[in-house]
Amino acid sequence: MSLAVRIIPCLDVRGGRVVKGINFKDIVDAGDPAEAAKRYDAEGADEICMLDIDASFEERSTTIETVKSIASQVFIPFTVGGGIKSLKDIDMLLKSGADKVSINTSAILNPDLIVEASKEYGAQCIVLAIDAKQDGKIWNVYSHGGKNKTDLNAVEWAKKGQDLGAGEILMTSMDKDGTKSGFDNDLYAQLSKNLSIPVIASGGAGELYHLVDAVKLGKADALLAASIFHYEEISIKKVKQALQREGFEVRF
Amino acid sequence: MRLGVIDYGASNIHSVARALQSLGSKVSIVDTPDKFKSIDKLVFPGQGSMGSCVKKLKETEMITPLLDAIKSKPFLGICLGLQILFNSSEESKEKGLGVINGSITKIKDINNENLKIPHMGWNNVKIEKKHQLFSGIEDKQFFYFVHSFVASSTETSITTTHYGEEFVSSLSNENIFATQFHPEKSGEIGLKFLENFINWKI
Repeated sequence: MSLAVRIIPCLDVRGGRVVKGINFKDIVDAGDPAEAAKRYDAEGADEICMLDIDASFEERSTTIETVKSIASQVFIPFTVGGGIKSLKDIDMLLKSGADKVSINTSAILNPDLIVEASKEYGAQCIVLAIDAKQDGKIWNVYSHGGKNKTDLNAVEWAKKGQDLGAGEILMTSMDKDGTKSGFDNDLYAQLSKNLSIPVIASGGAGELYHLVDAVKLGKADALLAASIFHYEEISIKKVKQALQREGFEVRF
Repeated sequence: MRLGVIDYGASNIHSVARALQSLGSKVSIVDTPDKFKSIDKLVFPGQGSMGSCVKKLKETEMITPLLDAIKSKPFLGICLGLQILFNSSEESKEKGLGVINGSITKIKDINNENLKIPHMGWNNVKIEKKHQLFSGIEDKQFFYFVHSFVASSTETSITTTHYGEEFVSSLSNENIFATQFHPEKSGEIGLKFLENFINWKI
């Protein structure tokens, strides 16, 4: 017996509404976050992730309301990310009902935030989110929602994040995100080889076999996807059945 | 009936309180010694290390009322709330409450499976002994875990789970029940378990 492969539907939220873009652009409205979270829970999601895209200080109160609304109705682990800059932000989100927070740009600008947050709330609470784009044999890290290229190498940065105290790595392949052409399994295989903390693969899910391959070839511990679940193109149950057929442990 | 959820200032008690409230329970937060009196049943969600937890309980003068409540009221310890019942833990020098005999140890990777620690995620819970709190819950259901330390064995064991080694995923002794998993994060089955605790008659 081992741990079940986790299937994590992601809600990209802006201004209290679920939205979905392709390649980090072209945003469309896709419904109420709490309703979506409840539906996912009923369908067998193992966790819920909510990313507040371009969350700004002014929108913080909307985010908090959305977090509270989801947390009072859904009783599985719940990760919230987007615009987190300080321990105060983390504290507020955890108090509102998040179980984990996902930190991206702020960790790049201020790696100490991971150290401090991990010390204060425990590593299990801190997810380091990374947006990466392939360039030849390496993957570059992008900050600010994929807008700015940094000097960081994605695999190296993930390793550093683990050393700083992150409990999980959420790696999004910008090349694959929204394309429905499969996960970047080379990237995930490299990560799994180099890390001792769980890796969540994100970006590129389109067909059932893509998700299976991310676990089989990419050795991902968890799979995160937004649109395929949101538009009911593939059900969570079907993904789990496919994984089970390949011999992986799943939770029904 | 009033359920008390202990808040010693370091653990995220809100998810437990919310889950109990969603089941229709009246929940009070117990964060001072005097608040133990009006409580019929007690839930102790724990997070962090045993050392800091015991220290905080001492600072808030809640050790004595907590021990009294553990002796007399239906009690549910969750995660660190299970571990703290034991005599000691490898995790810290600070002693536990000593209500259950034995000690807490770091998860052992017996078969060199290259385990990731903490044990975080959904794992099977094997029912070893029948108990009211598992009524309506089938054997080998998945519950959600987040921890690095375990109780390897105890006579009070109700369920076991395998991760690196076989460990105690829940235990019970008279009015005490404790789980290593997080029922408040274990979806529908977790809620069923909490409902059983709410209805638990000793």
